Amino acid sequence: MSFSESLLSLRLSIDYRSKPGVLRNLALQMRRGEILGLVGQSGSGKSTLALAILRLLGLRGGVSRGEIRFQGRDLMSLSEREMCELRGRQIGLVLQSPLSSLNPALRIGTQLAEAWRAHANGNREDCTRSILAALKSVSLPEGERFLRRSPSQVSVGQAQRVLIAMATLHRPPLLIADEPTSALDTITQAEVLRLFASLNRELGMAILYISHDLLSVASLCHRIAILHEGQIVECGETQQIFAQPTHPYTCQLIEALPRNPFESPDRGNTPGQQAMETAGVPAHVPTGKSQP
Amino acid sequence: MKTLRLLAWGFLLSIFVATLLAEFVAPAPYAEQFRESPNALPSWQHPLGTDELGRDALSRLLYGSRVSLLLAPAAALLATLIAALVGGVAGYLGGWWERVAMGATDLSLSLPWLFLLLTVRAMLPLNEPPMTSVVITFALLGLLGWSPSARVVCAGTRTLRNSEFVLQARACGCRGWRLLLRQVLPNLKPVLYAQFWVSIPIFILSEANLGILGLGVAEPLPSWGNLLRGLENYSAVLNNPWRVAPLGLLIIVVSCFQLILPLEDFRS
Repeated sequence: MSFSESLLSLRLSIDYRSKPGVLRNLALQMRRGEILGLVGQSGSGKSTLALAILRLLGLRGGVSRGEIRFQGRDLMSLSEREMCELRGRQIGLVLQSPLSSLNPALRIGTQLAEAWRAHANGNREDCTRSILAALKSVSLPEGERFLRRSPSQVSVGQAQRVLIAMATLHRPPLLIADEPTSALDTITQAEVLRLFASLNRELGMAILYISHDLLSVASLCHRIAILHEGQIVECGETQQIFAQPTHPYTCQLIEALPRNPFESPDRGNTPGQQAMETAGVPAHVPTGKSQP
Repeated sequence: MKTLRLLAWGFLLSIFVATLLAEFVAPAPYAEQFRESPNALPSWQHPLGTDELGRDALSRLLYGSRVSLLLAPAAALLATLIAALVGGVAGYLGGWWERVAMGATDLSLSLPWLFLLLTVRAMLPLNEPPMTSVVITFALLGLLGWSPSARVVCAGTRTLRNSEFVLQARACGCRGWRLLLRQVLPNLKPVLYAQFWVSIPIFILSEANLGILGLGVAEPLPSWGNLLRGLENYSAVLNNPWRVAPLGLLIIVVSCFQLILPLEDFRS
């Protein structure tokens, strides 16, 4: 897969009334089909950036200035109606908390149907067919029984998969995943990460993977951007970031990674190499490591 | 608590059925006068006695309960629907819409409810046929009684508008009125349900207030309000204590409405 074509490029400054300068002239580029990890500490503005790309930041009282170019179009100049057409169809979003992101009053099937009807016209059979295909793609039970469940009747992992199915129902070229594994246990985290990798591999979907967990980012992403004090302080190939971090904050992040207390002392030379081994990233992996 | 609630349900249902079957259960038509026996004491013919015009008190109580018990929920439904519309739209749209709608709601709330009701009712025709007066009375209750519920609905909608699942729905492309009706409204059901139930006893009492002052349902059609006017005649009450039966029934019914409020459902 070629990553040469630019999918998203942005240069943004974002302020909240109570907190100006959350993002300061932040510049970021994404290519088609790549998985870009955005890493930063809590409160650094990662989720703010995700909402700003979809122009939903106003709902949270934020104001963004700058330029967001997606597939050649400047999103900042689009009308709200055009943005509604774009959300879900061109850019999907998976929020952090699976259970609070699902509507507690609606059954799973109804929520998926609403997401489908936002961009598609068709009869109930078409809708059900699309929904079942989406459930299959995220390894959820495809039966009508599952669709009749309410959010309180599914596990957190299943809820996260439902959210991913909702966000990818229309096969958008870009999926923004905002800390999608932070509420999950380790095993479910690994499953969800594999799911993202397979969505990227099979559908060619680019993923902006936002997380503060450097290990999960390392195991999934082709490139990593480090967000610190409202700016991208370092951006590069995953291996490069781990092997040769240049910014002090990146070094600090890598140094702070948890280590296996029982590992042998000769395993890897630097914390970055050790972390990459822990995350299952072979040392020789180049850009697009999970791509054929 | 569960037993009390069951008892309350049972009592309300039996009263409701009795009022619906008033034609068959009541000893006499509500307007029929037994001129030879005004202010009669309870007897087999008149189990609760008769009023000063010789009308059977039990029959009037049954027919009057029908008016109050059927129309108070109707007025509550009207008020809840208006509250859902005003509060829901204001809370969903926010900004100037919310300010204007909530300003009007606050203005309405700042006016004393009973005085407002009396003023508006007094401005409307009083010499109307009984059925017209029933419709005017309860429509007025519904049209003027929405403001407390609207505030609650607006606050609930505002919370829902900023919720994660509505944000997720927006991110999926859901928008406009469909977002309000399909994503927000189902979550407002418990609030609307609670407001509906709470309004019923309030409207029953309000109608009773209007009736006591002669501004409610017009004679000869009975309602709890105009039945309570019979209590003005103190000596007649002393002579026949069963005349307080409408008041007793009103208190018991309002208490039963409070008991059957499904608080657990509202909390969930």
